[in-house]
Amino acid sequence: MNAPTVPVDVVLVDDHHMFRTGVRASLDARVRIVGEAEDVDGAVAVIHELRPPVVLLDVHLPGGDGGGGTEVLRRCADLLAETKFLALSVSDAAEDVVGVIRVGARGYVTKAIDGPALSDAVVRVASGDAVFSPRLAGFVLDAFGTAAGDVATGDDELDRLSAREREVMRLIARGYSYREVASELFISIKTVETHVSAVLRKLQLSSRHELTRWAAARRLL
Amino acid sequence: MTTADEATARPAAPVRLPLRRPEQGRWFGGVALGLAAHLDWPVRRVRVMFAAASLIFGVGVVLYAFLWLTVPVGDPVQAAEITRPAFLGRLARRQEVSGRPLRLPGPEVLAGVLLLAGAALLLLGRDHAAVNLSWVLPVAVLVAGVVLAWSQLGVVTRGRSREVAGGRAQAFLRIAGGLLLAGVGVLLLATQVIGTGIDPGLLGQVVVAAVAVVAGVALVLAPWWLRLVRELGDERAARAREAERADIAAHLHDSVLQTLAIIRARADEPGEVARMARAQERELREWLYQDRPAPGTSVAAEMRAVVAEVEDTRSGPEGEAVAVDLVVVGDRVPDACTAALLQATREALVNAVVHGRPPVSAYLEVGEDQVEVFVRDHGDGFDPDDIPADRFGVRESILGRVRRRGGTATVTCKDSGTEVHLVVPVGPCAADEEPTPGNGTAQQNQKEKAT
Repeated sequence: MNAPTVPVDVVLVDDHHMFRTGVRASLDARVRIVGEAEDVDGAVAVIHELRPPVVLLDVHLPGGDGGGGTEVLRRCADLLAETKFLALSVSDAAEDVVGVIRVGARGYVTKAIDGPALSDAVVRVASGDAVFSPRLAGFVLDAFGTAAGDVATGDDELDRLSAREREVMRLIARGYSYREVASELFISIKTVETHVSAVLRKLQLSSRHELTRWAAARRLL
Repeated sequence: MTTADEATARPAAPVRLPLRRPEQGRWFGGVALGLAAHLDWPVRRVRVMFAAASLIFGVGVVLYAFLWLTVPVGDPVQAAEITRPAFLGRLARRQEVSGRPLRLPGPEVLAGVLLLAGAALLLLGRDHAAVNLSWVLPVAVLVAGVVLAWSQLGVVTRGRSREVAGGRAQAFLRIAGGLLLAGVGVLLLATQVIGTGIDPGLLGQVVVAAVAVVAGVALVLAPWWLRLVRELGDERAARAREAERADIAAHLHDSVLQTLAIIRARADEPGEVARMARAQERELREWLYQDRPAPGTSVAAEMRAVVAEVEDTRSGPEGEAVAVDLVVVGDRVPDACTAALLQATREALVNAVVHGRPPVSAYLEVGEDQVEVFVRDHGDGFDPDDIPADRFGVRESILGRVRRRGGTATVTCKDSGTEVHLVVPVGPCAADEEPTPGNGTAQQNQKEKAT
């Protein structure tokens, strides 16, 4: 991926000052932090004021009605067309992660991610693609099932993954980068991104009962 | 009172157990049992003494009733446990007071009591002809009502009415019935005292007046009562919060704070610090987010244990701690095949950590008919055919182990890294020279000590 000449503006939302400082220091020249917030209300205000292309959003946030990252996303739903949200979390809990994805986040990375990889993820989200960590790919495979007969045949089928999408998810879960996935499957990186975006769409819109259960647990329905 | 072999397991403690009325093994209210535990006497002796005392103008009965009302329900041993210092309580759990839930059948007891009462009345009637039966009936009704209401007291005060068969509704019905009976008894007595006999018109007036007085008193006392109830609820909630906070604090103290202290003391050894931080993170994460499955029921949990063990005990080529990114999809109950697979996985992980280059990732997928593992690192890799025959590690412990179980094992080396792919079929597993039980993989691995 070519580094864009203009850095991507990012608003960083996290309640830990130490973590914000760390992220600020680790991001490279492709990303510029233009604003920070540390709770739900502050985040909603800053995002509406600055309208950044990308928001790095912690899943667990104090303030507001106690809804954390999902509440920020819901209250910023009017901006989703121009602002992309990338969820950050220390939590491994599936309902947290799937919760923010279901309300519109474009990807999820763990806080253990290193600086270059986070910058990569921000740039990728800014260009409209989805970012999947290995763990999120694992959640997807768990939710959509890995049984051989459970394969989508048409593009419009939301409740199952296509064979190719499942292949891509498996490679990402195994720790492959998009580039490595592309060379492994003999397809272009752009195609990999298309598949991942398609999976993200299914994750957001599917009514598979595992996903609706997660969503119900986060009171998203 | 014929007592069976009431072998109450009294702990041979020098200190006296607190006075409680146990629910197990009681005949009526558990008074004798509790008293026996408190005095460290045989239950039989206490019961005989109560029975004997009852013959002396009913002293035993009165004493029994008094203790029934004043002594709280509970297990004396557990009560002692609570008051014991925590460091003693942790060492070993005491044996509980055991005993058959021996209860006399209610109808027979009732019939016996009625017969006895009748006999007493007859006796009294013969000696003092002045006994007026019109006094006996109200008193009997009153006593029956009181007994009915008080029989629920122990249950209600402990807030356990839901556990009792019939639940709250039954408890409420019993108390209401008891109140009604007692009220009727009091009314009858009152009319008796006034001496006009049971006159319907007067009875109606008395009932109205009594209800009015009770309602007035209730109205006046309602605010206090409400406040009492609310304070009780608040206090309970506060205690629950306090217990939760103590639990968290204890955990943080036992693990996180101590690890932080060790890390600070060894700050000049970055490898060790990273390893400890990683181990602590893993442990805290597990405590916070995961419901721990019972041992021997989850391949995923065993896989996590394998990864944890490798992270804790192995270091990279330069002695640095290496984190393994683990993703697990699906789960199943472990069997001999998955045990072999996990042992091979462990060897592959050790290989990747020690000889490969981070990041190391592991992926476990449990399918319907097979279980797959991928272990990947970013090192230069190795060619399995080039491995000398004496290097037992890869050839035997990884590839051989899986192949003997009817699975496949492949090692792929690319410029982006090395990946070991292991598959075993699940279901009926081929017998094998290694006797591998379905669980306890981690311990076995530690015994085996890889090459």
